[in-house]
Amino acid sequence: MSRLIRNFVLAASLAPLLAALPACASTPAQRGLIVFQHVCAACHGMEHVDYGDMAAFGLSPDAIHNWAADQQLPNGTDDNGDPKTRPATPTDPILSPYPNEAVGRLANHGLLPPDLSRLAMTLPGGAEQIRRILLSYAPTPAGVKLDDGRYYNTALKWKHIGMPPPLQDGMLTYPDGTKSTTQQMATDVSAFLNDVAHPHVAERRRIGVYVLAYLVLMAVLTFVLQRRIWKSRP
Amino acid sequence: MTQSETPPPEGGTKRRDLLTTATVTLGCAGACALAVPFLNSLKNPAATTLSDKTIEVDLSSLAPGQDMTVQWQDWPIFIQRRTPQMLAALQTPAHIATLRDANSKMLQQPKDATNWHRSVRPDYGVLVGICTHLGCVPSFEKPGSAPEAAGGYFCPCHGSNFDAAGRVAERAPAPYNLPVPPVTFLSDTKIRIGHSAGDPGFSMSDIQQI
Amino acid sequence: MPAPEKTPGWLERRLPVMSVLRREYIAFPMPRNLNALWSFGAFLMVTMAIMIASGLFLAINYTPDITQAFASVEAIDRQIPSGWFLRSLHMGGVTMLFACLYIHIARSLWYGSYKAPRELLWLTGLGMMLMVMVTAFAGYVLPWGQMSYWGATVVLNAAHTIPLIGKPVSELLLGGETLGNTALHRLFVLHFTMAFAILAVIALHVIALHVVKPNNPSGIDPVSPKQTLPFHPYYTSRDGFALCLFLMVYAGLVFFLPDLLTLADNYVQANPLVTPRDIRPEWYFAPFYAILRAVPSRLGGLLLAVGSLAVLFALPSLDRSPTRPATRRPLVRLSLPLAFLSFILLGVAGMHPPTETWLIVSRMAMAWWFIHFLVVMPLVSEREITS
Ligand code: HEM
Ligand code: FES
Repeated sequence: MSRLIRNFVLAASLAPLLAALPACASTPAQRGLIVFQHVCAACHGMEHVDYGDMAAFGLSPDAIHNWAADQQLPNGTDDNGDPKTRPATPTDPILSPYPNEAVGRLANHGLLPPDLSRLAMTLPGGAEQIRRILLSYAPTPAGVKLDDGRYYNTALKWKHIGMPPPLQDGMLTYPDGTKSTTQQMATDVSAFLNDVAHPHVAERRRIGVYVLAYLVLMAVLTFVLQRRIWKSRP
Repeated sequence: MTQSETPPPEGGTKRRDLLTTATVTLGCAGACALAVPFLNSLKNPAATTLSDKTIEVDLSSLAPGQDMTVQWQDWPIFIQRRTPQMLAALQTPAHIATLRDANSKMLQQPKDATNWHRSVRPDYGVLVGICTHLGCVPSFEKPGSAPEAAGGYFCPCHGSNFDAAGRVAERAPAPYNLPVPPVTFLSDTKIRIGHSAGDPGFSMSDIQQI
Repeated sequence: MPAPEKTPGWLERRLPVMSVLRREYIAFPMPRNLNALWSFGAFLMVTMAIMIASGLFLAINYTPDITQAFASVEAIDRQIPSGWFLRSLHMGGVTMLFACLYIHIARSLWYGSYKAPRELLWLTGLGMMLMVMVTAFAGYVLPWGQMSYWGATVVLNAAHTIPLIGKPVSELLLGGETLGNTALHRLFVLHFTMAFAILAVIALHVIALHVVKPNNPSGIDPVSPKQTLPFHPYYTSRDGFALCLFLMVYAGLVFFLPDLLTLADNYVQANPLVTPRDIRPEWYFAPFYAILRAVPSRLGGLLLAVGSLAVLFALPSLDRSPTRPATRRPLVRLSLPLAFLSFILLGVAGMHPPTETWLIVSRMAMAWWFIHFLVVMPLVSEREITS
């Protein structure tokens, strides 16, 4: 019974819970955040996601703060009318590194690196397709002629993509000691992007279990209750 | 209407009463729990410990006797450059006798501004421009704008008077001195608002009232 | 043993709420033989309440401006505390509401609840269904995703083709040449105004129900008190149990399958220059969408889609037989399930690309829907009356 009450209280106190959970040993999504920070963020943003939201991936407040402060955001104009900037804060969005679309295209042979906020949801094939793309670069076969800024990639229908192969074995060190092979990083970053595209999934499922448990209990109680009432009808 | 009351089922045992009570109680508890996320959503999402914004202000264009207003955390921040006359006026015993909290006993300022001029350096005053009565923004009365004016603030809403150090007059409706934000001097003419080097632990959420 | 008559209290003498509640919700005589299908009205009430509550709290954080709408919905999903839960509750609620509405209406069709004296109950109910549809349409535009934008564009352009009223109505909604800021703001206001208007019609619907009393599976109204049971505790306890099961399905949708019934393309911000490749309506509009596509004429498709609902409004005069439940009408017992099947087939067809097969399925299903209501019902009732 006390267990039941505890579960009930847990289910009732929905959101504040997440913060109380200890940051566990690193999960694929947590490692994927590191890949995003060091590799993807060079070209992509997640404009609907705030730096502070990364607390969900176990990033400490200080780490969030420092990461944000590394990015400069436009901040009006100074007394001479020249644009000013300020360091980003945890409540600012993780913007694309390019100040606008034109610059982004210029830097990428006319193609704009897409925003990653919901990509794992909106890309046909989802997170798995992201992983496949990252792992399907190959040397351009003889006889195939690709335009400038195009890279041969078998995961795509047209067998090429505008993104240069982003991952290389050992290009970063994971704090938890996991070896950063291309395979590993592709798996991790797609897990990360999957979570980013489905905000609060873990919390959602955990609360869902409590809610369902509560409803099952209520269903049993009301069932017994109505059976007794109907049995004794005149 | 052919309606007669069918009597409620007989034989209400104690056991059923317990069952009914438990079901109804749990049902109501569930409904209350459902209200939690609704109310939770009204919380300020930015009100996390992560959002501690600071701003830097350049004071080089501020002449003695002048004031300026900047915005910090959505509050108007008054910055004044005080003249020797203003500083002298702050210390006259006759003036001090008219104040409610002349020695800043109330926690309305960081430690390094708990002094007679309520600021880090006497020649600059920095105050949160929100009247402690009911929240209007007082206006600056320049020193010398009236024969006896020594510089200070006057709140248009219900007539509270504050001196140039933000200390409230005894007869004003406002109960407390104007709050002082945490300030650090980065150079002689540049300050950072939002962090106090002299009282690093200070937080605006600890003060008596804004 | 009834309590001895008490002198009415202070409140009772001025506003007899207590005795009315007692009469209508505690002692109210209900048929003894109602089955589970009679619980869907209670589900609808609860879902409506949840929709209105979650909608209000979403509206607090939503910005009806084309530059900010999409981002404000993203913020609800990500940054607003518990915002994801409120949004899922609202999105899942639409599905639960439509599912219950369709079952509730099917129940009324099967047991002949639309016949005298319950015609007004039937008509207010159908009116509510139309209002729910308008509300859902307007609401779907609000997140300003690709599906919002293109769905609304297609519907408003379709409305444009209706002679006489089409143009003025779509211009009233759009407030401009194309779907833009003005239209978004108007649809936002339409969305919540309509939702509150539904509340008022629910009141009418329930009052009408309490005047004419519920129908029951036998279709023969109870005549003696022995054939009834008081609403409380019999149907309160039973609806309570049914509600728990209903809420389990709802919770499953909200907590475990939030993406099941939404289209991923709506998580891409509206772009007036690109139409998404597989544009589809939400499932609850799919049957009508299938009719639109099955007819090789723009106006014709629209008229038939509207007609498929109009036949329901006309039903009390198409089916004049006094026999209510289909169970006691051998021909209806065959024809009506086929009409239900047609509706489901149309829905499935509406969710698939318009291949030749699906077009044929849609046309046959549509044909049967109209045959059932316009031919079978009048003929059968004719025969039943004369025999
Ligand atoms: C938001 C929408 C609606 C709500 C909240 C609602 C609510 C209810 C409730 C609580 C009942 C009594 C319980 C029951 O018999 O199931 C009821 C009865 C009824 N409703 Fe609805 N309803 C809605 C929409 C509709 C629609 C769209 C129709 C049909 C076209 C409809 C037709 C009926 C009929 C005919 C009855 C009497 C049924 C009988 O006892 O046989 N309702 N409604
Ligand atoms: S608010 Fe300033 S005096 Fe009342």
